[in-house]
Amino acid sequence: MLHQRLIEALGADAVKTAPEDLRAYAFDAYTEGRLPSAVVLPSNTRDVSAVVKIARDCGEPIVPRGAGTGLCGGAVPVIGGIVLSFARMNRVLAYEPARRRACVQPGLINLDLSRATARDALFYAPDPSSQSISTIGGNIATNAGGPHCLSYGTTVNHVLALEIVDDRGEVFMTDIDRPGYDLTAAFVGSEGTLGLVTAAWVRLMRLPEAVRVWLATFPDVESASDAVSAIIAAGIVPTALEMMDAVATRAVEAAFSAGYPTDAGAVLLIEHAGLEDDMNAYEREIARIARERGANSWRVARSQNERDALWAGRKGAAGAMGRIAPNYYVQDVCVRRSTLPRALHTIERIARDHHLTMANVFHAGDGNLHPLICYDKRDKKQVAAVIESGNEILRMAVDLGGTVSGEHGIGFEKREAMTAIYTTQDLATMARVREVFDPQRAFNPEKIFPVGVRCPEVAPVA
Amino acid sequence: MTIESIAELLGACARDRRAVIIQGGNTLRGMGLPPMRADVTLSTLDLNDIVEDAPDDLTIAVQSGVRLRTLSTRLAQHGTHVPFDAPRAADATVGGTLAAGWLGPRRHLYGRPRDFVIGSIAVLADGTIAHAGGMVVKNVSGYDLSRLYVGSFGTLAVLAQINLKTIAAPPAARMFHLRLPEGTRDRALAQFAHLAVAPSAAFWIEGHRGAVDGDDGAEGRMSVLLEGSAAVLERATRDLRSAMGRAGVPETRIVDAGARESFERIVDAYVASLGERSITYRIAAFPDDVLPRMDACKALAERFELRTDTIVDAMNGDLLFRVSDLDSHAFGAKIEMFDDALHDDEPRAVIVAGNHPSRSLLNVWGEPPDGLDRMRELKRQFDPGNILNPGRFVAGL
Repeated sequence: MLHQRLIEALGADAVKTAPEDLRAYAFDAYTEGRLPSAVVLPSNTRDVSAVVKIARDCGEPIVPRGAGTGLCGGAVPVIGGIVLSFARMNRVLAYEPARRRACVQPGLINLDLSRATARDALFYAPDPSSQSISTIGGNIATNAGGPHCLSYGTTVNHVLALEIVDDRGEVFMTDIDRPGYDLTAAFVGSEGTLGLVTAAWVRLMRLPEAVRVWLATFPDVESASDAVSAIIAAGIVPTALEMMDAVATRAVEAAFSAGYPTDAGAVLLIEHAGLEDDMNAYEREIARIARERGANSWRVARSQNERDALWAGRKGAAGAMGRIAPNYYVQDVCVRRSTLPRALHTIERIARDHHLTMANVFHAGDGNLHPLICYDKRDKKQVAAVIESGNEILRMAVDLGGTVSGEHGIGFEKREAMTAIYTTQDLATMARVREVFDPQRAFNPEKIFPVGVRCPEVAPVA
Repeated sequence: MTIESIAELLGACARDRRAVIIQGGNTLRGMGLPPMRADVTLSTLDLNDIVEDAPDDLTIAVQSGVRLRTLSTRLAQHGTHVPFDAPRAADATVGGTLAAGWLGPRRHLYGRPRDFVIGSIAVLADGTIAHAGGMVVKNVSGYDLSRLYVGSFGTLAVLAQINLKTIAAPPAARMFHLRLPEGTRDRALAQFAHLAVAPSAAFWIEGHRGAVDGDDGAEGRMSVLLEGSAAVLERATRDLRSAMGRAGVPETRIVDAGARESFERIVDAYVASLGERSITYRIAAFPDDVLPRMDACKALAERFELRTDTIVDAMNGDLLFRVSDLDSHAFGAKIEMFDDALHDDEPRAVIVAGNHPSRSLLNVWGEPPDGLDRMRELKRQFDPGNILNPGRFVAGL
């Protein structure tokens, strides 16, 4: 019945029902869920609307999916249902270079937008490391960041308006420039639990006239993180400020030969984009702080090629971990930037306590940590140690006044961790928003909210 | 006053359905409709603690009644700022500015006020104290309730505390005032899209005599704010002068000492009202169509024999359009018809200032937004008894 109706509405080509197809959509980059009842690949907003209406009639939840690169189970069908892939909705619908904005479908790959606008010296700023495969819709769902959101801000700062298909299959627009509640802000970062984004107007930025990339090496992670805290405390916010420890740089060098030194305890990759006139003064100031905090070397990337190689290494760092361990788990927490040295110190201790290898490669300028914990999933004891150390890192972040997810989202993985940072009342307040848009809990169920969170009963208006 | 006492007050008001009118510095009182009911006035002015100043993290947590000037003075000690760019900064509060969804002229460069909000404590109508976000600059943990309260005009909750990220303040500022001779306006404004160093703000102004600096030429005047290092200012000055030269604009008056004050006077003028004799509209256009739309508004005002004072934000495309008459009776006789006619052309024009008694008959919020039924349901979830600022916001929210 379900399959029949979906095929009638979307065509056989857009509906997958064979078990081997369904199995491919039970996963994301974090985990595996149940086998979905069906996978649909809509081509336009009308298709999406039809799927929502059919799903509602059949009592099936909908799990929206971009590229499936999420790291916390956000795209996994935890209780089954229909997986709705936006892979075929990947067009740029409107492009207005003079107004520096574009309207895109959610399945458009992040990097493809910047590629398409480069001829007008414009770019789309949010740049998660997955940007060559992840989609703008998925980025919106998790309010994705990336190295350059340090100065440009995360996805929410770059979304102007959204087209939404709601739980009744009806379409409405949000717009940050209209009076009324900022539903754009509510939807960005809501991980597909409020409705389905079928188009997004996004802001484009002018490509900077000058870009410089520097590499500073440090004897250890502590001195490097100390330098980061000092740079931020001096009021200097570079365009990007990334750190890699020795484990990470060695893996990256082995994989990419990107130009990272393999004998340093830690490296800082620093980029500043802006006006040529300021570059020398900027460089002097950051280099001075780095040296004061113990940097043993400082160099500037001399060419575009050298810059690109360093960035390719940084963005491919997670992939490069495959060289040192069969499996890795990446944690994502964010701490206050002044507490980075303490956070890194604690992570090192946690790794030692559990006899695990950890690599640190992260957005240091934001205080957004990504410890990569290496393991072998065939070793049950090691798996248990990974889970325990991941939890200890979460607790550490909370203890330092930080949060349990900086940019990957809560998804399925971290829903219970929400109670570590929010009270029951805080969570119930969020649930009020869910109640408005998804009272049946049909959109991406079993995500974000810990088990048992309810919003307060609202009495009918007399 | 404490957050707990606000929670108690709201809880009590919710039980007996008493309407609560929320007030900060009262600087944007020209926005919104008059309240439908008003039983209790809740002023946030006593909620004025800087809760946590964390310059090493580039963050600060303030209570909602903290004045914008107090905040900027504190941040200036660290060489940082949060560019709210709201009028009357000495009186305006952080909470009020955010609740009103204020958008200022430097947002094209630094971002919107909402982009600086990283956390909040709000009190809901039933007295629930709800935290959202935190003190870190990146945080994807549940719904972004803090940003949802921004621009909600106090109809979802009372903002009690706001956590902000800060950015380095530009070291120097320079203001340019240019008189525009006949036939230069359009060419002069067209230059701004192409300047290598984007000005922090660029305005085309006509009228507002005495309230803001500069004198009108045959086609009004421009004021341009440059910010940055000395090296950048020097280069930007050269570029701006040659761009204006190409556009046929000869005179340039430069203000260095007092550049920011000069800029603030323009922002103040956004909502400067002539009491019962004026209404100010805000129209969100684009840099490439704001001038023709402004001309159409002006032509309409002339038909109604209304005087006009105009500010065009050339970088964002905002139009601030004040219509007035010397005589309040004459003004009252025609403003309703003008308002209708203006909204025929500009359905989204929003009133931001003016104290006319028949305000409630005007189309204060312009065309209602899309998704209104969902917004109404959101209101019902957060404030089922409709006690928070009832009737003030768009479409009865």
